Amino acid sequence: MTDPVALPHASAPRDAAVGASAGPARRPRKRVPLFARYFAFRAPIGQRAEVTIGIVASIIVLALWEVSVRYGWINALFFPPPSNIAATLWGMLSDENLLYHTGVSVARVWGAFLLSAVMAIPLGILMSCYRSVGAACEPIVDFIRYLPVPALVPLSIIWFGVGEETKIFLLWLGTFFQLILLVADDMRRVPQEYIEIARTVGARPIQVLSHVAFRAMLPNLVDNLRISLGWCWTYLIIAEIVAADSGLGFVIWTARRYMQTSEVMAGVVTIGLIGLVSDQLLRLLHRRMFRYL
Amino acid sequence: MASDYLVFDGITKNFGDLSVVAPVFDLSVKRNEFIVFLGPSGCGKTTLMRMVGGLDTPSDGEIRMEGEVIEKPDLRRGMVFQSYSSFPWLTVAGNVDFGMKYRLDLTPAKKAQRRDHYLDMVGLADFADTFPNKLSGGMRQRIAIARTLAAGSEILLMDEPFGALDAQRREGLQLELRKIQAQDSKTIIFVTHDVEEAVFLADKIVVFTKRPARIAEIVDVAAVFGKERTLEMRDSETFFKLRNDVLRMVRKSAGTIQ
Repeated sequence: MTDPVALPHASAPRDAAVGASAGPARRPRKRVPLFARYFAFRAPIGQRAEVTIGIVASIIVLALWEVSVRYGWINALFFPPPSNIAATLWGMLSDENLLYHTGVSVARVWGAFLLSAVMAIPLGILMSCYRSVGAACEPIVDFIRYLPVPALVPLSIIWFGVGEETKIFLLWLGTFFQLILLVADDMRRVPQEYIEIARTVGARPIQVLSHVAFRAMLPNLVDNLRISLGWCWTYLIIAEIVAADSGLGFVIWTARRYMQTSEVMAGVVTIGLIGLVSDQLLRLLHRRMFRYL
Repeated sequence: MASDYLVFDGITKNFGDLSVVAPVFDLSVKRNEFIVFLGPSGCGKTTLMRMVGGLDTPSDGEIRMEGEVIEKPDLRRGMVFQSYSSFPWLTVAGNVDFGMKYRLDLTPAKKAQRRDHYLDMVGLADFADTFPNKLSGGMRQRIAIARTLAAGSEILLMDEPFGALDAQRREGLQLELRKIQAQDSKTIIFVTHDVEEAVFLADKIVVFTKRPARIAEIVDVAAVFGKERTLEMRDSETFFKLRNDVLRMVRKSAGTIQ
């Protein structure tokens, strides 16, 4: 990004200056071909261009899909067109209480996510700050981390029944043990220099931790929280398919039973939209919080 | 030797089986002296400096500051690192304030006054509200220097602080550092492997052997140039000759020539 030679428009005035040594009056602006501008290796294209390209690409995919179904290239029974899905989604809002089910799912995700975060952040920090805590926890965490969540569904039902506890437990299980290692890693990556600066100006260990180390790891921590929130949605659907009478997973699974493909898709789209919106919001928050980066 | 300000007394340092500072290292530093540790990378000079800071402890022997054994870091000895020398989430002023954050003896008004004084001294007064990521490497090093001065450190420990800077900025900062040292009467231990930098900055150069660290030679630069340093000095015959002498010592102690 800092290399001016990599930017075609930035290098243009330089080339022009070389040519202009004969007479400074004539300085032709070098026109950059469209392709070269948007396909310069690793070069930025500007935020507005990025958003526009993102929207246009999505519309093209949707349009291709719609056309393919309309012309009968693919079977509408298995692949209902986007227009149909949108209409179904609209209908489900009033007929099937989609908002209620969405609310239930969101509440489960956030409940389990907050539980994971509240437990993983202090424990992860302890693991990286004190090697003996790390040594004690790592084998256990690594073992559980590799267990596939679906494999523990039966156990979870035996332990907690089919109520809310099971769902929260499964989501927690899927994220806590991942997050704890990410937190420990974030803390480990805080440069030793920061710690030592704090110590040499008279900070006590707890002050070093809260005023400097935690503050230094915060941007990475927020990023990792955003990522584990995404995992929560993956496990939520597993939990809701297996044992639930509410939530988006339940809606999707019920629709499948009646071969209502467009309702299944509408449920999936809802999850995707929630993911897209919450991820963008968290990114925005990240940029606001960490302007200094 | 009780009158000496900072004394390394019979120091050795091992990391496990690895001997970093050879037995035994003795050195005494006077108040307001500018000491440069010069030697090949990884020779143990940084470890010695860190022990002065209280960030490492000697395996044997002790380091005393005004007769008091150094056991842990405290405000009287400040560190300026080569990288990560300031906090990115604090503004320039915030970074300098951080040096005084744990000083309970200063009133907020006094702290603000000290901050402004030292920001001015290092030439960053106009950048008080800027974040370090908007500043050049040299300016960031000046933040660290201002922070350490504001903290009230008597000894500045500098670990290749200008290592990542280009030649011009480096020269400017070296000159400024000498000025600040004289103005604020600080004792400085400065680690570098750049011979020219060492000759220009030091009152006294300690030339190290390769690891384990041992004193190969001590060069009294102040005896030649006195305390005053100017850029013109760098072009003088004397400077050139002294630089070549030191360079030869470094080569010899590093084992490059016999």
